[in-house]
Amino acid sequence: MNNKPLILIVEDDERICNFISAILTSNDYHIIKTNKGKEAISMAASYSPDLILLDLGLPDLDGIEVIKTIRQWTEIPIIVVSARGQEQEKVEALDLGADDYLTKPFGTSELLARIRTGIRHSPKGVNVGYLESEKKTVGDFEINYAKRLVSIAGKEVHLTPIEYKIIVLLSKNIGKVLTHDYIMKEIWGPYTNERQALRVNMANIRRKLELNAAEPKYIVTEVGVGYRMIEGI
Amino acid sequence: MEVNQARKSKKKGKLKIFFGYATGVGKTYSMLDDAHSELRKGIDVVVGYIQPHTKPETIHLLDGLFALPPKVVVKNNRSYMEFDIDAALNRKPELILVDELAHTNAAGMRNKKRYQDIEELLNAGIDVYTTLNIQDIESLRDIVQDIPEANVKETIPDYIFDKADKVALIDIEPDELLNRYGEKIILSIDNLRLLREVTMRKAADRISNSNQNGQVLSAEMVRTKFLVCISSSPSAEKSIRWTARTAEAFHAPWIALYVENMESKYLDVTEKESIQANLDLAEVLGAKIVTLNGHDVASVVAEYARHSGITNIVIGKGRNRKTLKGLLEMDIENKLISLLAGIEIHIIPASNVQRSYRQPRKMHIKEDLFLSWSDTMRTIGVLFGATLFSTGLHSLQFGNQNAIMVYILSVLFISRITMGYVYGIAASALSVLLFNFFFVSPLYTFHAIQPGYSLTFLIMLIVALITSTSTVRIKTQAHLAVEREVRTEVLYEINKKLLVTRGVQSIVTLTNEYLVKHFSCSTIFYTHDPQVGSNGSLMQSAIDDDASFMLSESERAVAHWVFFNQKQAGAGTDTLMGSSAFYIPIISQENVLGVIGLSSVKGKLNREERLLLQMITSQVAMALERQYLSDEQRQMLIESEKEKMRSNLLRAISHDLRTPLTGILGASSAILENSESLDKQTQYKLVSNIKEDSQWLIRMVENLLSITRIKEGTMNVTKTNEAAEEIVAEAIRRTRKLYSNRKIVVKVPDKLLTVPMDATLIEQVLINLLDNAIKQSPDDSEIEVEVRKDGENAVFEVIDYGEGIAEEDFPYLFESYVPNGKRSSDSARGLGIGLSICMSIVRAHSGQMSAANKVRGGAVFQFKLPLEEVIYNEQ
Repeated sequence: MNNKPLILIVEDDERICNFISAILTSNDYHIIKTNKGKEAISMAASYSPDLILLDLGLPDLDGIEVIKTIRQWTEIPIIVVSARGQEQEKVEALDLGADDYLTKPFGTSELLARIRTGIRHSPKGVNVGYLESEKKTVGDFEINYAKRLVSIAGKEVHLTPIEYKIIVLLSKNIGKVLTHDYIMKEIWGPYTNERQALRVNMANIRRKLELNAAEPKYIVTEVGVGYRMIEGI
Repeated sequence: MEVNQARKSKKKGKLKIFFGYATGVGKTYSMLDDAHSELRKGIDVVVGYIQPHTKPETIHLLDGLFALPPKVVVKNNRSYMEFDIDAALNRKPELILVDELAHTNAAGMRNKKRYQDIEELLNAGIDVYTTLNIQDIESLRDIVQDIPEANVKETIPDYIFDKADKVALIDIEPDELLNRYGEKIILSIDNLRLLREVTMRKAADRISNSNQNGQVLSAEMVRTKFLVCISSSPSAEKSIRWTARTAEAFHAPWIALYVENMESKYLDVTEKESIQANLDLAEVLGAKIVTLNGHDVASVVAEYARHSGITNIVIGKGRNRKTLKGLLEMDIENKLISLLAGIEIHIIPASNVQRSYRQPRKMHIKEDLFLSWSDTMRTIGVLFGATLFSTGLHSLQFGNQNAIMVYILSVLFISRITMGYVYGIAASALSVLLFNFFFVSPLYTFHAIQPGYSLTFLIMLIVALITSTSTVRIKTQAHLAVEREVRTEVLYEINKKLLVTRGVQSIVTLTNEYLVKHFSCSTIFYTHDPQVGSNGSLMQSAIDDDASFMLSESERAVAHWVFFNQKQAGAGTDTLMGSSAFYIPIISQENVLGVIGLSSVKGKLNREERLLLQMITSQVAMALERQYLSDEQRQMLIESEKEKMRSNLLRAISHDLRTPLTGILGASSAILENSESLDKQTQYKLVSNIKEDSQWLIRMVENLLSITRIKEGTMNVTKTNEAAEEIVAEAIRRTRKLYSNRKIVVKVPDKLLTVPMDATLIEQVLINLLDNAIKQSPDDSEIEVEVRKDGENAVFEVIDYGEGIAEEDFPYLFESYVPNGKRSSDSARGLGIGLSICMSIVRAHSGQMSAANKVRGGAVFQFKLPLEEVIYNEQ
């Protein structure tokens, strides 16, 4: 038994598929490929891959449908691949249970980083107890969940309860993009539209954590989609 | 759908009239006979309606023809068979037969008259055959009326007959007619002959008219213009018909003139109705209707005639007007003759003699005798004062002539402060009596001993009378003038407002406001076919309880009819009179631009109101037309702008894409074909070139894609509130991925700045500007990005410390396509279409974009986005 992670690539363009396979194989991943949505569903069921890389534009089935079907029975991490300008599509995919997204065109390093994060966040990864650690550190940033303490370079940062809740949410999902709707639901509860409040809170958090609010190191904006806390600097 | 098609083709149906002088000459028979031959030709013929009591041989002819079932209307326990217009329009045959053109429909049908049904059929492109008797033509009515047995109740306006495409004259000898239906024909042989003659002449007129139509009319004829004076008298109706016939013969236009004076105010209901009826009649017969105000009818008529180039004036005259007033006053015709030298005057005698000449006078007196307590008190008061004053003068030994003057002055006062003639006249008489009683010896009796006093009394009475009547006259005239002024004022005001109003909706609102204010009833305004588009704009008047009925399906159908047929309809008209509102089409150059409806729940509009409404409508039509034209123009401008942008873009793309593609193709084939001979370093260089070119292409494509986010047509974007710093941060992050070694300094305001924008597009703008700045400046120099709030705008700036923008580049900086050779630097990898796309995006956000050189070198690109829009609904 080798324990190389298994990646399912669902992509209808042969060339893109070729170069992704080339990169992943040379980075010690096992891959299986398909260019059809229905096939992807059955392969996900029979092979139980560690991660699915899913192009939303498929010839036979809408990628969104594939996510819905797969999410009915498994939590396998899904990374959606889509073009820029289709933010609405990405948000929909994320809200339906996709874990992350990649915007075409993407570079090698970006692809590998996302796949690493995805696998780490998978249910298998959680079992290892990765997320249950008491504190988390990214660069100068540190959050201690037990003490409810946030600090930058050892200096304590004073946050309001809401700001702290947002930071906890982002840090527990570190590396993952969280949509505006998801954050709002988690912080303020369902059926609210606190978009402006979220925006103001984020602006405050940035001013407290970052050196320059326009060049954030820790929490970046995914325009039209949501926010993401950067995993490693 | 059918309706629309019919309108598009604009093909009107043809009308053929089977025309005869009496019932029984065989009109229906010939019509059916003709229909059979059309049917044999393969024409789709349908019998719409045939009089049920037609003779057996005629009924026999119905065999083989498809007949529409008649519509049965039940009214007052009697059922009426009527022609079913809707069934006919739905069936839409090529030819339809409808008997009895002059028939009046039973109450409850859509149209009052059958000829209106037939006009609808013709408008829908259906050919119609119909029958008509001579006495049913409106303008011939009075001629035929001299024949007592010819019972004329139902008539058609002349234009129906004149406009008919074909008229078939059906004729048999009167003798034969009597032989055939002797017992049924009530007319005598002489009268039948007379009717026949009139019929033949009418038919002959028609032929000669159509012959003349081609000829050039003589100058004399062109100038001929008739004017008929309308009053409530019975002679007026006859004069109108006479004028209609004569004007027709001369092919001359004619005008029906009604002069409103103070007497008009005292007219009773029947007289008012008869004037209204006469005006309607004139309109039906094709006259232009003019209403004027003035006291002296003759001088008003004369002035109007002089100004509008009238050549012939027609007036009616009662035969027996031997009243006192008649003796004192000059007759109107004599006055006219003395006032107008060059105009022919025709006097038409009244044929109707039953009416006594006393009747109208009685009415006047009755009206004048209307007394009010306050006026009586005033009169008594003034006279009492005058008497007191005169007594004073008398005791001071002033002469009696002063007392006379005081009384005359008091009469003048009384005429001014009271209503009507009564008080003035009464005061005149009273003051004579009072003068006699108090100041003429023997005092305190009504006797006058000195002989000269009877003359004094008479003169005093006459002077007092004239003073009082002329005062009243001036007052009335002033009153009429004020009324007219109000009307003019309304028109002027709405016109003025309409001139400065922009946008269809504002025009509609303004018009509705005016109509509600002026007519005190709820209004509805449709700017499109009421049955196709959305609801009309309803405005409820304060005095109406509930105007929502105007939005009901049935009212909408009436409005639709008006829209489609371009005619007024609804309450107070002959068409669809069951409706609770009056509808008028807004017509401009034969196009219907809309329909205005006025609720008639609180009373129908009278003729004057309708006239005013019509005038307002034509103003509205002009305003709407102007609006549509300017809309069209703007649309065209946008179109051409778009077209220009598109073609420029295409030209720019084809130019800009070629270079990197050539590079990629060259480098990759070099590696593939010469992998053996090329050293590792060269291969590496070639591959990195491919990568760079691809990256350039990707950015290019993203730019192009961003253009598609700008909405077609409106050149607008969907904006949501975004934090400016987030967008800037994202743009810089993405730029850093490509240029990790460049130093970018960012400044954002301390306070969160929220800007309404399409985030993807503004990010694209920033990326383009950063890209441009990096390429135009040395590798070790800084790039600065700054965001700040400036009043109502968010200002974004990208600053570099390069060479700056070359002077000759400024004019073309934001153009996507530059005429060959005008761009100084190597454009292939430089600006490309990036800046022009930035410009389009910023413009679509209603923002501004500019570029300038810094004094110490380098360029500043700046764009501003407006902040004012507050967007609540973000999802």
